[in-house]
Amino acid sequence: MHIVVCMKQVPRDNSVKINADLTINADGIEQIMNLFDEYAVEEALQWNEKLGGKVTVLSIGPDDWKEQVRRALAMGATDSLLLSDPAFAALDVLGAARVAAAAIKKLGDVDLVLCGRNSTDDESAAFAPALARLLGWPQLTYVGKIPALEAGKIVAERHLEEVIETVEASLPAVASVIKGINEPRYPSLLRIRKVAKVEIPAWSAADLGLTSADLAPVLNLAGRVPPPPRPKGEMIDGASAAEKAARLVDKLMEAQVI
Amino acid sequence: MNFDLTPEQQHIRAEVRRFAEQEIAPRARHVDETGEFPAETFRKMANLGLLGLPFPEAYGGAGADSVSAAIAIEEVARACGSTALIYSAHLGLGCAPIAMFGTEEQKQRFLRPAAEGRHLGAFALTEPHAGSDAGATRTTARLENGHWVINGAKMWITSASVAGHLIVTAVTDPGERHAISAIIVPAGTPGLSFGKPEAKMGLRGSVTNAVTFEDVRVPEENLLGRRGRGLQQFLAVLDGGRVGIAAMAIGLAQAAYETASAYARERTAFGKLIGAYESVSNMIADMAVGLEAARLLLYQAAWLKDQGRQYSREAAIAKLYASEVGEKTCRDAIQILGGYGYSSEYPLERIYRDQRLLTIGEGTSEILRVVIGRQVLGEFVGR
Ligand SMILES: Cc1cc2nc3c(=O)[nH]c(=O)nc-3n(C[C@H](O)[C@H](O)[C@H](O)COP(=O)(O)OP(=O)(O)OC[C@H]3O[C@@H](n4cnc5c(N)ncnc54)[C@H](O)[C@@H]3O)c2cc1C
Repeated sequence: MHIVVCMKQVPRDNSVKINADLTINADGIEQIMNLFDEYAVEEALQWNEKLGGKVTVLSIGPDDWKEQVRRALAMGATDSLLLSDPAFAALDVLGAARVAAAAIKKLGDVDLVLCGRNSTDDESAAFAPALARLLGWPQLTYVGKIPALEAGKIVAERHLEEVIETVEASLPAVASVIKGINEPRYPSLLRIRKVAKVEIPAWSAADLGLTSADLAPVLNLAGRVPPPPRPKGEMIDGASAAEKAARLVDKLMEAQVI
Repeated sequence: MNFDLTPEQQHIRAEVRRFAEQEIAPRARHVDETGEFPAETFRKMANLGLLGLPFPEAYGGAGADSVSAAIAIEEVARACGSTALIYSAHLGLGCAPIAMFGTEEQKQRFLRPAAEGRHLGAFALTEPHAGSDAGATRTTARLENGHWVINGAKMWITSASVAGHLIVTAVTDPGERHAISAIIVPAGTPGLSFGKPEAKMGLRGSVTNAVTFEDVRVPEENLLGRRGRGLQQFLAVLDGGRVGIAAMAIGLAQAAYETASAYARERTAFGKLIGAYESVSNMIADMAVGLEAARLLLYQAAWLKDQGRQYSREAAIAKLYASEVGEKTCRDAIQILGGYGYSSEYPLERIYRDQRLLTIGEGTSEILRVVIGRQVLGEFVGR
């Protein structure tokens, strides 16, 4: 089984600034693997341990994204692929899905694509559906459990707001996973050492046969503001635990939470 | 000349920091308050490969260099002093002597499980009457029918009662110039007993025990390194241990420095941020200078070790400087937080207590000054 995981690098926290051209300025903020993608990587690794085959971690981004690709390799991914081209700098979600779809087609033997349900920076949650549509494959979103995966077939639980839906699809397919589907492992330090110098293959727009028309944004960004900082918490004082609890209850009732 | 960490060292730092922030730091207060051994944390550290980080893959390690190991100890200490001491003692005292002087069989039998994190190692040198003056060791080991029979008492042994093996120094050749040898004693050997965990000022999650040996018998092949060379070997082991203690001092100081810097940017007094007062910003600046200098000394010592070069002097200098500047950093950080610095609701007072050991263990500041003074002036220093 060949599983591809689409992985994005994102700023660790949302204390970003917005540039004049509305791009996000995350200078000085540590870059990490998108939270939900970590679950996707872990899910792929667990199935790979059972079924064998390959796990390719795929990322669309500049050269320094190799750091997080490497982290996925250290977690246990067998292969990697960076889709990198100056022409990919201003992709919207559809453009990004086009690039990934072209790469997955070029890989040829892919059985399953796993994505995180959304990235924690853009939060569109449209990448996986767009990718499935472009590939013409079934899409399974909000997957909280994969009870079965075998040649030609996947069974997945979709954890929706009020119900859990169990669906079956033929492979190849695209699935996006939610937090809690598993507990992502820490990469072992031995593997970190081993992959520190691994060459990560990179494909450009030309390698994928993509033209500027394919990549032109269809979304028009009208405005962008940084997320408001998280409001400070309030400490509740009281002489005893009981008094503190009583005050907390008053506050919660005032705020109509309970 | 190149002051950059290698990509591998940078990755190790990033991963250990992440692990320490997520898995170790949230338990630091609990570990200090209860004195509970953080067993679950060590299981996870084992999975990561931390417990054998600098040892060869062939013996269950991750094959990283000494600079990486120093970085790992630093990052663990930034999250929790107790965990860092257990970790540093395991690597530097419990495992390193076997990696350095052990036979192939000893490495397979004792180093491998320790490096894989299946058990911790401990090193028992100090005695009630022999601390800095390790040559005054009274514990004895006599050879009898192919077995060492060990008798005596040790004091202040980190992780003794939770370790899978103890390396013990004992007099094997009384009256000889080279009288002391090192012997590996597996946990559970009859005659081995431990005092109750010592009550300590800090590092309370790290158990420290007195150890008693009453006719403890181990096979002759448990002799570690050369007979009679226990003291020389131990000095070489301590060089590495000192690098670990310097790293620990820097990690603790880094945590104090970050807490104080954040506070100086938030707290106002008399209508200004306290960081705007020079007396406060000067303390922060001095902390930055101390940390930077200590780190350079630390990485230099570790780097020399990795090159296979002499690093005794540099290890002594790094340990002495880092532990003293670390203590000052914690003291000043508490000063900057005022009453909150003194409060047990905040981590600084714990970090300060934890830091306090570091000018004592693995060579007191006074002894290190003697060592360095001798190198500068000659052997007459301190005689
Ligand atoms: C928490 C903790 C963990 C420890 N873990 C271990 C362990 O795992 N294994 C182990 O073997 N030991 C361990 N030790 C012991 C530690 O290494 C000793 O405490 C240390 O070496 C100092 O020895 P001492 O306490 O006997 O002090 P002493 O050697 O008696 O020193 C007392 C004072 O006299 C000074 N002094 C002594 N000699 C001289 C001199 N020649 N010149 C100038 N000043 C001098 C010292 O600097 C110090 O100020 C641990 C100790 C503690 C507190």
